[in-house]
Amino acid sequence: MSSIAVGAELPAQDFPIARGDLVRYAGASLDFNPLHWNEHFAKSVGLPDVIAHGMFTMASAIRVVTDWAGDPGAVVEYSVRFTRPVVVPDPDGATLHVAGSVRAVRDDGLVEVDLTCTVEGQTVLARARAVVRVPATSGSA
Amino acid sequence: MIDILAEAARITALGECARRPARDAVNLPMINNWVEAIGDTNAVYVDEAAARVAGHPGLVAPPAMIQVWTMGGLHGQRASGDPLGQMIGVLDEAGFTSVVATNCEQTYHRYLGHGEQVTVSTRLGEVVGPKTTSLGEGWFVTTHNVWYAGDEPVAQMLFRVLKFRPGTAIPAPAADVLRPVISHDTAFFWAGTAAGELRIQQCTACGSLRHPPGPMCPSCGADKPDYVLAIGRGQVFSYVVHHHPAVPGKTLPFVVALVELNEGVRMIGELIDVDPASVQIGMPVELALTRIDDELTLPFWRPSRAAR
Repeated sequence: MSSIAVGAELPAQDFPIARGDLVRYAGASLDFNPLHWNEHFAKSVGLPDVIAHGMFTMASAIRVVTDWAGDPGAVVEYSVRFTRPVVVPDPDGATLHVAGSVRAVRDDGLVEVDLTCTVEGQTVLARARAVVRVPATSGSA
Repeated sequence: MIDILAEAARITALGECARRPARDAVNLPMINNWVEAIGDTNAVYVDEAAARVAGHPGLVAPPAMIQVWTMGGLHGQRASGDPLGQMIGVLDEAGFTSVVATNCEQTYHRYLGHGEQVTVSTRLGEVVGPKTTSLGEGWFVTTHNVWYAGDEPVAQMLFRVLKFRPGTAIPAPAADVLRPVISHDTAFFWAGTAAGELRIQQCTACGSLRHPPGPMCPSCGADKPDYVLAIGRGQVFSYVVHHHPAVPGKTLPFVVALVELNEGVRMIGELIDVDPASVQIGMPVELALTRIDDELTLPFWRPSRAAR
C-alpha cells in the first residue's frame, strides 16, 4: 500500500470498438436499444451514426483500474459523465483510449483514481473517477 | 399544457417503488457472455480457483454488470409504478421524446457471488428544466436505484438522462469574431498584438504594472502611462468552461482563462488547443497571437510547449 503515490499513473489501454462488439454487448447486457446497432435508426433520431452503449464505454474504461488493482471486487465506487457519444461507424469502428492516475490515497487506505477517456483526442467520459480498495500484494506496479 | 414540475413532484412523492426481482440469479453463463463482450479476461469471474486465490469465497460477478441482472429482457415492459417510466411518459407526452444518458454514479457495497438473487428499487430524484442544450431544449431527469440481496443493499446508482425535444438544437455559430472596442486607453495594446507584442501598461511615476489598461495608476494616481513587453508566458490563475450560450465564431465548449503573467499582472483570454476537462489551475500557458485581419490580432493562450 505504501508504495502507491499520488500522481502515479496506471498503465493506459486502448479499447478498439467495432459494430460487432456493440451487437455482442447488446445481447450480453440485455440492452437492445437500436441506437446501438441500427445505423438507420440512429440517424433518424439525429445522431451521426450508431453510438456505443454508455454502460459499455463505462465498463470498458474501468478495466484500466481492475487490471491494475488485480481484483475487480476492489472497486467500491465508480462514476462518470457522458460528455460525448462514442460514435462507432461500420466498418472502421472507434478506439477508446483510457489513462488513469492516482488522485488521492485516503486515510482508510482506499485509493481514488481519475480516468481520462478519449476517442480521437476528444473526451467521451468526463470526471470519471473510481474508488478502489487495493490489495496489499498488487497495484504497486 | 402539461405541468412537468407538478408531475415530477407527484412522482417523486411516491418514493421508492416496489422492488423488482431479477429474472435470473447471478450466473456464470450470463457472466461469460458479458466478459466476452467486454473483452475482460480477469479470471475471478469465471475460474473458481482463481477467485479463491484472490480472497473471494467463490466466483464473483463483475461490479459494472450490476444493472444487467435486472434488465427487462427482449420483451421487457416497465412496471406501471416505475418512477422513471412514469416521468419519461410525462416528458414524451410534452414533446421531449429523445433521450441521452448524461451521468452515471455507481457504488458497490460488496461484490455479488454466483447464485445470489437480487432485486432493484427505483425512486425519482431531481427533474430540472427546461434547459437549452446543444442537442435541443430538454429536461434532466435523475433516478436513484438500489439493488438488494434479500434486505441487504449491495449496490446503488445515480443515473441522469436528458430528455430533449428533437430538432431544437442550437444552430451552428456564425463564422466571425467578436471585435474588441478599441479606445484611447487600449489602442497601444491592440497595436502591440498586431505587431506581435504583448504590451503591459506601466506607470512612469511609480513603475508599477497594471492590466487592464486605464488612464490613471491605481497605485499612485499618476496619469502618465507607458508600457513594457511581456514575454508571453504565465499560468492559469482561474478559468471557466463556456458551454452556453453560443458565441459567434466559437465552437462550444471553450475555455476562458484568467492568466497570471510571469510579470505579475492577470489577463483574461481564451485558452485554445486544450481539452476543457484537462485544464487545471496553475497550468503553464504561453501566448498564441492569432491574426484575424489587417486591423485585428487577438491574443489567445495555449498550454506551454515546455510542459507538454
